[in-house]
Amino acid sequence: MKEKITLHFNNLFTDAPKTRKALDLKEEMIQNAMDKYDDMVADGYSEEDAYHNVIESIGDVTELFPEVEERNLLTLSEKDRKKKAMFTAAAVGMYIFAGAVFFFFGLISEITRSYRYDLTALGFVLALLICIVPTVMLVYAANMYPGYTKREKDDMVERYKEAKYSSNKEKAVRKSINSIIWTMALILYFAISFTTYNWNITWIIFLIAACVQAIVKLIFELKKHDNYFE
Amino acid sequence: MSITSDILRGHTEAIILSHLLEQDSYGYQINKDIMKKTNNAYELKEATLYSAFRRLEQAGSIKTYWGDETVGARRRYYAITDDGRKAYQGYKQEWQEAKKIIDQLLK
Repeated sequence: MKEKITLHFNNLFTDAPKTRKALDLKEEMIQNAMDKYDDMVADGYSEEDAYHNVIESIGDVTELFPEVEERNLLTLSEKDRKKKAMFTAAAVGMYIFAGAVFFFFGLISEITRSYRYDLTALGFVLALLICIVPTVMLVYAANMYPGYTKREKDDMVERYKEAKYSSNKEKAVRKSINSIIWTMALILYFAISFTTYNWNITWIIFLIAACVQAIVKLIFELKKHDNYFE
Repeated sequence: MSITSDILRGHTEAIILSHLLEQDSYGYQINKDIMKKTNNAYELKEATLYSAFRRLEQAGSIKTYWGDETVGARRRYYAITDDGRKAYQGYKQEWQEAKKIIDQLLK
């Protein structure tokens, strides 16, 4: 039973700041709970009843750490998450649509054998233009995390939260860039392969995509490095 | 009962200060004495007690020190300061006035 009480406190304090003070506070509250539990058992309560009574009398520990409530800023609200998912889905749909447009023009020029106008090139330009919209959407979706407003206290916890916030945002941006790179690579692969029938060579697009991804990663790392020394 | 406990909760700090006027004490002891004085009618939640401690400490009304228990766990004791005594007198006066007004209005 006593382990259960300690466990309960550990769970309650998972969101607490990892400071000496918070740790001391937890120890003190556990000690109080243990004393109360011992007293109740000595008074003839069953272990089960004593345990429930002790847990019941802890109350709402979030009021002990008013600064912790801000942590929620780092995660998106339900509404924003839905919005973000919608944006991403629509963007992916548009990429596919762009690929279809390119493919369609390629097919038309194949069937009509019209060499007066190069329809494949026209399709490529159109597809590229269409791709602008979903790219903008993905970047917007990646930046939907709410801005971090600093409170008056400039302590370690604040700095930690800010660092975590910016790394969260960076991760989101990187993720969306990666998804753009790979979707584009896939579309290009099929589009070029179907129009040129050079399947034996077009797989090289994936190597290029991997290369681009590595470059993006390098840019991010360099940027981080710069920030570090600022 | 919920209204009662809401009203009482607003006076947690005064209740703690009043208790510390008698003697230095630690968390569980304070709560136990509150229960004893009220015939088990009122018990502070741990979290309420400790957030009140925090506010009192920030305001300089109480100070803490580690006890020198030879048996069992070491305990953190809470003691009232001179500022705390002044704050308590203020609380008490406010309560007397509020009580008078409520009594006059609820007849």
